[in-house]
Amino acid sequence: MAKIELNNIAHSYNPNDPNPIFALKEMSLSWADGGRYALLGPSGCGKTTMLNIMSGLVTPSHGKVMFDQKDVTRTITEERNIAQVFQFPVIYGTMSVYENLAFPLKCRQTPDDQIDKKVKEVAEILNLHDFLNNRAKGLTADQKQLISLGRGLVREDVAAILMDEPLTVIDPDLKFRLRRKLKEINAKYKTTLIYVTHDQNEAMTFADNIIVMDEGEVVQAGSPKDLFEKPQTTFVGYFIGSPAMNLYECKADNSNQVSLGSNNISVQTNLVSTNTSNLKLGIRSEYITVEQSSGPNTIHADIIEVEDFGNYKLITAQQDLIRIKAKVKREQEVPSEKVFLKFPAEHCCIYADNKLI
Amino acid sequence: MPKLYTFLKYFCVILWSCFVIAPFLWAISTSFKDFNSVTGGATYIPWLQFEPTLDGWSVLFKPGSQGGINIIGPYFNSIFVTFTASFISIALGTLAAYALSRYTFKAGFVQNNDITFFFISQRIMPPVVLSIPFFIFLSTIGLLDSLAGLILVYIVLLMPIAVWIMVDFFNRVPKEIDETALIDGCNPFQAFFKVVLPNSIPGMIVAGLFCIIFGWIDFFFAFILTFTNVQLLPVKIVALNSSITPWWSLSAAALVSVAPLIIVAFIVERFLSKGNLTGALK
Repeated sequence: MAKIELNNIAHSYNPNDPNPIFALKEMSLSWADGGRYALLGPSGCGKTTMLNIMSGLVTPSHGKVMFDQKDVTRTITEERNIAQVFQFPVIYGTMSVYENLAFPLKCRQTPDDQIDKKVKEVAEILNLHDFLNNRAKGLTADQKQLISLGRGLVREDVAAILMDEPLTVIDPDLKFRLRRKLKEINAKYKTTLIYVTHDQNEAMTFADNIIVMDEGEVVQAGSPKDLFEKPQTTFVGYFIGSPAMNLYECKADNSNQVSLGSNNISVQTNLVSTNTSNLKLGIRSEYITVEQSSGPNTIHADIIEVEDFGNYKLITAQQDLIRIKAKVKREQEVPSEKVFLKFPAEHCCIYADNKLI
Repeated sequence: MPKLYTFLKYFCVILWSCFVIAPFLWAISTSFKDFNSVTGGATYIPWLQFEPTLDGWSVLFKPGSQGGINIIGPYFNSIFVTFTASFISIALGTLAAYALSRYTFKAGFVQNNDITFFFISQRIMPPVVLSIPFFIFLSTIGLLDSLAGLILVYIVLLMPIAVWIMVDFFNRVPKEIDETALIDGCNPFQAFFKVVLPNSIPGMIVAGLFCIIFGWIDFFFAFILTFTNVQLLPVKIVALNSSITPWWSLSAAALVSVAPLIIVAFIVERFLSKGNLTGALK
């Protein structure tokens, strides 16, 4: 196991082009030993490239990859001690489940008795012990994915297990169980787990730390709570949370107030030094409350739709061009035509040029 | 409607089977006839319409001094040349195809696809274009009229087939399999031999089958590059022809010559249905 650092890493797949396109723009990141991370972002944002740089399948155009302060940028994949699980389960179809799990240890010339002990231990953890002598090819997709994962777990010296959307092919119920299993493994073996996904729920429920990426850049890294409550960019606000953060163009009136159409909204952000015209107010639908009467920070809006999701109601309301989505408790009484919606000042985020002030 | 569909399906299968089997039955029947039975109008049923004889077959195994052609030597020559050339072509072609599928080659405007096309272009050219260069080449290195010379030429002819089939096959093998092997601790050679190759056996069998067929049926190069020391089966069979065409011996020779291909097809068919890559990913 190791602390992994990416120092000023950037990568282009056409570096010799006069105008190279960077799949990964220059960034530095550090992954603590034993941590549980999620790399979250839309398809094509550079997540897989970053993973492949760590595993050595891709050599970065710029920067250094360090494992425990040792430069491994040019070290070949087989010498990096990284395990990687791909989106679709990769198994060696001509081998049995036992041989699949033993393969990484055989490649490292581990003695047979140790291989046997470790393979049986990992098979027990992953509930594969009943299939050890079966041909890997005949198993179900999730069992195959467990084999892929198992090949990473049999290696005690593995620096990190990188998972590239590993649960895409798995049923929702099994997804939940596998995620829990991964957490158990992380707790038991203290193995660094890096989990790539474009599904925010997966990221939020799996990781201690989430790194959100967009267009080859890290836009925010932090705990699920940070990402939810204080998105650093409008992209993170929009990408994280369901429904996405409510975002509105606004104007700064004075140091602690913005105007949103004909409404004045007080905020806790100091707007004195703000001199951009591209100002936006963002608020999570979870923090908007339904009020009985008008008051400070309330907007009187027409109700468009009330959707009942079982455990909560989602109100969609509109005032002129301002469309508001508010999540309220199921028991909350909602008027049928017009509603007063309050934007609590402490939960209002102000973005200048799409960045949080 | 389903009944009509089933009827049409079986009708087509039976029609096609007749189309394929009829020439064989015809050849089998002719190989047991004599001159009069062949030239005296169509006859079909042995013992009733014609008296079966082994004359057509015995010619194939009699020495030249007794009026036969003795195909045993050429038969084994053909087997040796075809199988050796096919084996070498598959071995080299698989390595070349793997490299063309997994690594990027670039020399000016020439890229992987152009190199693959260059291989295939060897088969697009009419064989006669290659005959003089091959003749001069073999005579220069002293391999004219030898088994080694023929094997060399057949490798040149068969390897494009192997490369063409295997490039396509490797392109359909997910590269994640190689990458996983590297991550598990293999070097690129081990990844190829331990993981990719065992999964590629179906492709190699298909390529091998094509190589054996094309090698076995070649007459042109066997005819112009050999004289008296070495003879292959197709050349020897043609030697049967004389002023009166011996249809009975030619039929027997045709049946003997297709036998190895039929045996190979039966063996290979099992492997083709048994092994494929579908379970390796997804």
